[in-house]
Amino acid sequence: MPKVTFIQTDGKRVVVEDAVGTLMEIATDNEVEGITGDCGGVCSCSTCHIYISPDWQDKVGDPEELEMDTLDFNEEKKPNSRLGCQVEVTEALDGLVVEVAPEE
Amino acid sequence: MTDHDDPFREARARCPILLAQHQGETIPMILRHKDVRRAAKDHAQFSSDAPRRVPIPSEEAVRTVRQYPLEVDPPDHKDYRKLVEPFFLRPKDPEVETRIHALIDTLLDAAIEAAETDIVHDFSIPLQSRALTYLLNVDEKEADLWISWGIHVFKDGDGKSKGPFMEKYCQKMFEAAEKEPGEDFFSALNQAEFQGRKLSMEEKLGYANIAFAGGRDTIIHTATRILKYFAENPKALDCIREHPEMVNTAAEEFFRLFIPLTHIGRVCPVQTDVHGHSVEAGDRVSLTWSSANRDPEVFEAPNEVKLDRKPNPHIAFGFGIHNCLGQHHARAIMRALIQKTAEKVDRIEVISETPLLEEEADYTRKVGYEILRAKFSRREGNP
Repeated sequence: MPKVTFIQTDGKRVVVEDAVGTLMEIATDNEVEGITGDCGGVCSCSTCHIYISPDWQDKVGDPEELEMDTLDFNEEKKPNSRLGCQVEVTEALDGLVVEVAPEE
Repeated sequence: MTDHDDPFREARARCPILLAQHQGETIPMILRHKDVRRAAKDHAQFSSDAPRRVPIPSEEAVRTVRQYPLEVDPPDHKDYRKLVEPFFLRPKDPEVETRIHALIDTLLDAAIEAAETDIVHDFSIPLQSRALTYLLNVDEKEADLWISWGIHVFKDGDGKSKGPFMEKYCQKMFEAAEKEPGEDFFSALNQAEFQGRKLSMEEKLGYANIAFAGGRDTIIHTATRILKYFAENPKALDCIREHPEMVNTAAEEFFRLFIPLTHIGRVCPVQTDVHGHSVEAGDRVSLTWSSANRDPEVFEAPNEVKLDRKPNPHIAFGFGIHNCLGQHHARAIMRALIQKTAEKVDRIEVISETPLLEEEADYTRKVGYEILRAKFSRREGNP
């Protein structure tokens, strides 16, 4: 099972050893602070905004158009922003590190 | 689909705005998804600092108070909003969620036992009113009175606004909570401090006003339309049963398509060019959520219900800092409704229906039902 590390805005790390699902689902299942996933994962609410660690950006890939449109309206958007609900964790992402973006 | 489901289809394809007459006021309605989201984010050009004028039509005749935190701009907006946020997050509490499930169980059982049910008055209004007592953490008996306020506090069928009754009722509730404080919404606002001072009665009534009026017809119509959809599409219930993970995506799809709130207003503090139309200082624009949610540039086959639509960047709960405080409540209710209906109900047969249309000079839009009589039948093997 892939391992994923979330770094909260207070600096605390939440390490999930057996990550299954999307980054949003994994974060909410493991009570990562700052990720609430209100819309259940349909790219509507932006409450699962994260920054992908630069080392992992290539492997995670870029957002699709609708996700990018939503991110474009987010004041905390950075070049490595993603919505966690749109990133499915696979074995290829074992070891992934992401930061929780601050609330807008 | 009828034209009443998406009355803005042609206008939206032709032009970013529809200049529409609303009670003698010309209001440019912003129709496209990207433009609506952009305007919702731009508080400087499109302000909410307009007491009783943020809703369209304006509510100057039906309420006396400014609604908090809806009708406030930054920076104060944030401080106003955070005072009530804990209450509006209560539906995420598993205990509250369990109560919502139990309430829906009871209402569905009653509907199944009855020879016929008016979904609006026998199901959705009690559902909304009783669930609101869980959100506000008040005695469920209070809902008996709220149920009598009808579909829309300000404009129910008899044409008489219940707004003044509601304001008086809320004032009494604040006064009673002052004498005997509890863990409820009214007591919390009595004790709350805004920027180092207590709230005035006018402010407290403004919070209560939107808590009662804003989440009322919206929840009632959405629940009714979800059940109507299941009546017309019984296979969708099979689909939810086979794929319970679709409950969340189905709820979001219903929010997108069945949004009861056509639009909401903003005021331009100075003369502003809105897609080629000059809006005078103090005049209004409309953020037309219902049109944006059917924009074909964003939603493939926008008029089709796709229970597993994902991504689905709808803006049924608005967008930006003023997004709907009651969205967690709405989601908890509709997800439970979808799940429980799939579990318990085999078929819903519509007996008669009276759609509720919003008729304006330039469009007619279906927002829900005044009456929807139906017969529910129980799914075999479900006690």
